[in-house]
Amino acid sequence: MTGAAVTASDRPCLPRGVRLHYDAVRETPVLLGPEIALMLDPIGKAVLDEVDGARDIAAISEDLARRYDAPRDMIEADVIEFLQGLAVRRLVDLS
Amino acid sequence: MTWSKPKALEVK
Repeated sequence: MTGAAVTASDRPCLPRGVRLHYDAVRETPVLLGPEIALMLDPIGKAVLDEVDGARDIAAISEDLARRYDAPRDMIEADVIEFLQGLAVRRLVDLS
Repeated sequence: MTWSKPKALEVK
């Protein structure tokens, strides 16, 4: 799913050919896909570290809310927006 | 670290 609205019950996973990588030259984590690379900020990396294909966005947001001591609703909205942007580029699958 | 909107910047 890439075009439809992302909801908290969607389960994100990295499609085949997409992986997290640490770029030693730029000293930053990057998300590598076919013919594309995205530099991630620490929060973006933290979100993608939680993406395991098993948990839905609600569960991921719950964990991040505990870790960052921030409102779960705010984190969930940010995570949905972030993953929606990656899904449009086919760097995240949502089921 | 405090929470902020996650960001991803395309490498050109």
